[in-house]
Amino acid sequence: MNQPETVLLLNGSPKCEKSNSRQIGKFLVDRLEEKGLKSKEAFIVRLVKNSQGSEKLLRLVNTAGIIVFTTPLYVDSLPSFTIKAMEVIRDRRVAEPQVESPLLVAVINCGFPEKEHMEIALKIIKNFSEEANLRWGGAIIVGMGMALNGEPLSEKKGMTRNLTKGLSLAAVALAEGQPIPSEAEKLASKSFLPLFLEKTMLRAFGKRTWNNQAKANRAKPDMYARPYESLNETQY
Amino acid sequence: MKAVIFNGAREDDSVISAIESSLIKLLGENGWAIEAIHLREKQIGGCLGCFGCWVKTPGVCVIDDYGREVAKKIVQSNLMIWLTPVTFGGYSSELKKALDRSIPILLPYFESYKGQIHHKMRYDKYPKLLVIGTEPRNNEYEETFLALTERNVLNLRPPKHATGVFQKNENLDKTLPFVEDLLRKVEVVP
Repeated sequence: MNQPETVLLLNGSPKCEKSNSRQIGKFLVDRLEEKGLKSKEAFIVRLVKNSQGSEKLLRLVNTAGIIVFTTPLYVDSLPSFTIKAMEVIRDRRVAEPQVESPLLVAVINCGFPEKEHMEIALKIIKNFSEEANLRWGGAIIVGMGMALNGEPLSEKKGMTRNLTKGLSLAAVALAEGQPIPSEAEKLASKSFLPLFLEKTMLRAFGKRTWNNQAKANRAKPDMYARPYESLNETQY
Repeated sequence: MKAVIFNGAREDDSVISAIESSLIKLLGENGWAIEAIHLREKQIGGCLGCFGCWVKTPGVCVIDDYGREVAKKIVQSNLMIWLTPVTFGGYSSELKKALDRSIPILLPYFESYKGQIHHKMRYDKYPKLLVIGTEPRNNEYEETFLALTERNVLNLRPPKHATGVFQKNENLDKTLPFVEDLLRKVEVVP
């Protein structure tokens, strides 16, 4: 297996630079850069808006040695923009088969603590990888994404120690052109805290966080609004 | 009784069209008012993940386009139907752009439901859900597709739901009994 020379950080989050998806993916890409790989970064939401952007996306994918495909969970799957990009990439790579098959690494994060929420999204990306003739490079799944707050992992200290250790281990294998070892996948995908604690914290502090945001927007009194209900009352 | 069909075909698709026609025929015969929405013809921006629909304008998306109608039509229907080509085991980008914009119908707050954390429900009642995929690859993705809809059910909690995958190489005459069977499962036809 040839050693890859380039890595593409392909970000499926519409929050782009401010996203947790970026921070997790960037930590991995930075480790790969330390091993001599050259990196590029692309934001799907900005590319799939028109055919020019789609062509650029295809060029970036087809010329990458490794693709770090980082995305949030949206409604039990991937954001619509991200699925659109996957359709475009698959359609073109099937129509015009490429000699090279970049290694695809999936990085999925969500706000829920349980990893089960992301299992289907992971299967969908694996299926995409196969259909688009990409080489499966492994996956990292991260729950409680909100705890990252869009900040660099290096600034999160102890909370992300398993994640950063796992990503660093992943980089060693990927730099050699090998998929992420399962030990590194498991380590990086470990919960930040014991699951029962994460669930308790999310229920308790989650409410306060939402309410504070609503207060700042003067929307707190309307949090339970049912704007579309009135027309439906007689239908049941 | 109102049914809304969200048609997520990416292009002209004879199989999805045949399924939609069968749905309209059977529901119409049983007294349902039906609205079929061809999503690829609608201006629906992708969800930006800003949570404005929860903390700025609760219950209403901050993007003023047809995506707002999607949430409204879901709440104001008795049956919603998702039609899509099975795409990597999930939904097409066209269907997904509508589903992503439906999160205003939930609350931001969390609760434990069936052992996992989910968002609380904003409304007391939600429509029944029927999900239909078309699959060219001989059931390869059916398991993933069915599992995805079960995850959606945990979040949307419809009073009844059913999912079916129609093989694209089947004769189109079979769409009618296929659809009838699914409509019986959600108890909207006898």
